[in-house]
Amino acid sequence: MSLAVAVVLGFLLALGRMSRRRSVRSFCATYNWLFRATPTLLQLIFIWDALPQLWPVFAGSWFTPFLAAFIALSLNEAAYMAEIVRAGLLSVDPGQELAGRALGMSRRQILRRVVVPQAVRVIIPPTGNEFITLLKLTSLASVISVHELLTAANQLAAVRFQFAEVYAAALVYYLVLVSLLMLVQSRLEARFTWSSARRRRRVAPVPSVAHDAR
Amino acid sequence: MSEAILRADGVHKQYGELEVLRGVTFEVARGEVKVIIGPSGSGKSTLLRCLALLEEPEAGEVSLEGRRPAAGEVGMVFQRFNLFQNMTALANVMVGLTDVRRLSKREARDQATEFLERVGLRDKAEQYPDELSGGQQQRVAIARALVMRPKAMLFDEPTSALDVELVREVLDVMEGLAREGMTMVVVSHELRFAHHVASSILMMDDGVVIEEAPPAEFFSAPKHERTRRFLALVE
Repeated sequence: MSLAVAVVLGFLLALGRMSRRRSVRSFCATYNWLFRATPTLLQLIFIWDALPQLWPVFAGSWFTPFLAAFIALSLNEAAYMAEIVRAGLLSVDPGQELAGRALGMSRRQILRRVVVPQAVRVIIPPTGNEFITLLKLTSLASVISVHELLTAANQLAAVRFQFAEVYAAALVYYLVLVSLLMLVQSRLEARFTWSSARRRRRVAPVPSVAHDAR
Repeated sequence: MSEAILRADGVHKQYGELEVLRGVTFEVARGEVKVIIGPSGSGKSTLLRCLALLEEPEAGEVSLEGRRPAAGEVGMVFQRFNLFQNMTALANVMVGLTDVRRLSKREARDQATEFLERVGLRDKAEQYPDELSGGQQQRVAIARALVMRPKAMLFDEPTSALDVELVREVLDVMEGLAREGMTMVVVSHELRFAHHVASSILMMDDGVVIEEAPPAEFFSAPKHERTRRFLALVE
């Protein structure tokens, strides 16, 4: 869910970076800088613990740890997604934009019909990475008492002293979740390959390696 | 017949410090084919882009039948084809009709198929650009511009990115167009094509047109020393 929000926000941020308005460009650049230059863990704690002090609205009981984690991870991930989306948009050969303008298409039409569909092809593999990283980052949410997978395993292990079984089960859960994501990814990639040969040629899944612990 | 349809009037264009066009004036009458030659950096491509309104000139005016050209009225064909890579040949030709002219899908499909037929590529309608040869891609690009029923067509070195044996098929399509009376401005160093098809040839150098003459005269008795040197190099 955080990733969905992040993809949308990231898209807006990436478009913002290319805006003709200077104020929009610098706002988006600052956002990226702020969320990429500080640790995710700190952002998480900041939003849960510090925000309600600065802003009393967040002190209400509606502001649950889960919601805080959701907001923090979404905002954080959006900054990374923005860079990925921007790289995707820039990867589309500008000659096609020129051809679109020569036909009389508007900037929006060119973006929607030509640039974005091609950018998506480039964006999918790194987005797969982001998705997997995000899934694993959810274990950070334990520090603000969100009951995620690793916490659940920890508690169970502490009660029963069956570390091998419980942690192995947690591993299997992570594996299953990530494998599902990888399957979705390879489907999407095949969908966005522009060649009529794609029906014959099965696209091999690109291995996704998420190695960065932010 | 000799009424000017497309005009450039004192067109200036500069990128930062660099003055690419320094006052270009020329006109094309209905059904005429003008071929522009000149060394790289002489401003040929920039001139075409100004005519297609892809660039806004700093000074001077571009007019089509005495007014500013509307979307799609001046067709443009590029050196690198610039087909939309995410669309089939047919969809490339259709998109201007559906998105700019607001035709229905069916209507657009019928017209696009007809124009693919004209460039001899009806059987490639469902292929994507990366499955077509350079010559085929360029013919799709020509169909994509033609389907908008432009009043004039601009070609920016349409064959210079092609393998030698694919040049002919593109020139054939262009010659066919010229015979049908299409008004054309072609930047090209295909001198044989220029000789056969052009109404006149323009020589550009350093942002201005230095010479314009009908092909026979242009090749046999170039007035300018610069033209003579350039022709010697190209041939």
